[in-house]
Amino acid sequence: MAAIELTGLTKRFGDVVAVDGLDLTVEEGEIFGFLGPNGAGKSTTIDILLDFIRPTDGTATVLGHDAQAAGQTVRSRTGVLPDGYHVYDRLTGRQHVEFAVKMKGVDDDPAALLERVRIADAADRKAGGYSKGMRQRLVLAMALVGDPDLLILDEPSTGLDPNGAREMREIIREENDRGTTVFFSSHVMEQVEAVCDRVAIINRGRLVAVDTIDGLRDSTEIGETLTVYVSELDEGVLERVRERDGVGDASIDDGRLRVTVDGDSKFAVLHAIDQEAGVQDFSVSESSLEELFVRYTSADQEVEA
Amino acid sequence: MTWLIVATKDFRDAVQSRALWALVSVFVVLSIVSTYAYVEVPEMFGSPEGATFGGLLFFTVGLVGLFVPLAAIVVCYKSLAGERELGSIKLLLSLPTTRGRVFAGKVVGRAGVLAFGLSVGLVVGLGFGAVLLGEIDAVALVVFVLVTLSFAAVYAAVVVSISATTGSTSRATTLALGFFVVFELLWDVVPMGLVYIANGFSFPSTLPDWTFTVTQLSPSSAYLSSIVALLPDLAETAGAEPAQTGAGAEVTAAETAPFYTSPEIGIVIFALWLLVPLAVGYARFVAADL
Repeated sequence: MAAIELTGLTKRFGDVVAVDGLDLTVEEGEIFGFLGPNGAGKSTTIDILLDFIRPTDGTATVLGHDAQAAGQTVRSRTGVLPDGYHVYDRLTGRQHVEFAVKMKGVDDDPAALLERVRIADAADRKAGGYSKGMRQRLVLAMALVGDPDLLILDEPSTGLDPNGAREMREIIREENDRGTTVFFSSHVMEQVEAVCDRVAIINRGRLVAVDTIDGLRDSTEIGETLTVYVSELDEGVLERVRERDGVGDASIDDGRLRVTVDGDSKFAVLHAIDQEAGVQDFSVSESSLEELFVRYTSADQEVEA
Repeated sequence: MTWLIVATKDFRDAVQSRALWALVSVFVVLSIVSTYAYVEVPEMFGSPEGATFGGLLFFTVGLVGLFVPLAAIVVCYKSLAGERELGSIKLLLSLPTTRGRVFAGKVVGRAGVLAFGLSVGLVVGLGFGAVLLGEIDAVALVVFVLVTLSFAAVYAAVVVSISATTGSTSRATTLALGFFVVFELLWDVVPMGLVYIANGFSFPSTLPDWTFTVTQLSPSSAYLSSIVALLPDLAETAGAEPAQTGAGAEVTAAETAPFYTSPEIGIVIFALWLLVPLAVGYARFVAADL
């Protein structure tokens, strides 16, 4: 059974189409990254999964139940870290977790959960005085109450420093090892790359890609990039380099030659460039998924524009 | 039972409202001062035969009629609109509950806070009066307290329901204050104005009967009517006269014309003030995109 299944999911706010015919299946046991620039429709989709808003068209099925008709059943097995939430300023961290424990009808130990997200020392302070990162941890602790089968995390790293983001990823992995499906959104590719089994990229409410990280890399032809300092560099050199075997794309960037490698041999390409222009120095960078993400989301925008 | 957990949490949260306790303090001071004045010079307050505990209760009705609407606005206007505006509603509704239960929990929790604040004020005010008078009418007191707490519940339901219709606290404030101004401050004037206009911009020699019925529709009039209906003997001796409560309007015996025919209707109106806003607020809240 799929953990999440979206069929033709559409949400319009007046004239604005926030989510446009989304079809997506997240299998049980996956860590699934939901990626897109701000305003792409990620939070709207998640809000529909949690029945905060109702779809204009299509359906969302979570853990086998309709998200709108059986919201309470869905949420009894789901831990949620929503986007744009606010904590109860007058209640302490412990009271927040106790509240979640009672609402879920379980007997988890709030202290242990707060320990796990590393804010145990602030347990009895009012959450209104927490930093953004501490609030994020607090709400994560609430999400973990009752060992949910599915974790839905909307931009979980928001407000966390690099250490906090790493701890967040550790918790995500630990939960996943227990068999929990994790569905999380992000606009930062790096976070998704580090932890996800599969990724969906959405832009302007539409799905533009669903694949594994490696699959995404392969399908977009951007492998490795060489940045080469050469003794002479002009359009003629650039033209001749482009003709060589193994060279994907070549451009002049800040007085250096930037070449993407199509084949496997970086050495062959370097050798070819050396014959044309005389290599003085070079560096290699693996194309980041960040670039890939930009390519997916900006290309689509150009088409729309 | 998640509604009860929501109600408990909400009570714990809202009972810390400083504005509520400021209002309770004002209520306590006012009720002590006015109780003292009533006991010392009852003639001025419509009890020429001397101060009685029953008289004191009816005298307190006017004070409650002003305090409860204001306290309800302060305690309840943000109950749902504020959670939606800030986004804490997302924490709440991420948990396994339903909007209906959250709504119910909010009404019960806020009604509890209001009743708690009101009880503190009443215990001090009426206790002080009982000591000064050296008497207490237990039956009347129980009836009075029950109806008064129901009045608090009605107002909590009204304001929480208003709050449930919108995701903006400024809008909720406007609606709640508008409700207060229209139904409590201006309500006596509205039917008069309609008659005035209908009569070609002049008052007829006698006002038609329906104007009195209309003036009795406001929540605080219904509250007074209910008390009159349930404590008819006391009402007579205290000279209580409905449709004169308005916002803190003192119950006077000056206009003795009993234009009030069946106070029992007050109980029905009272119940409607509980049910209709709840139905509207619930329907709007359940259908909303948060």
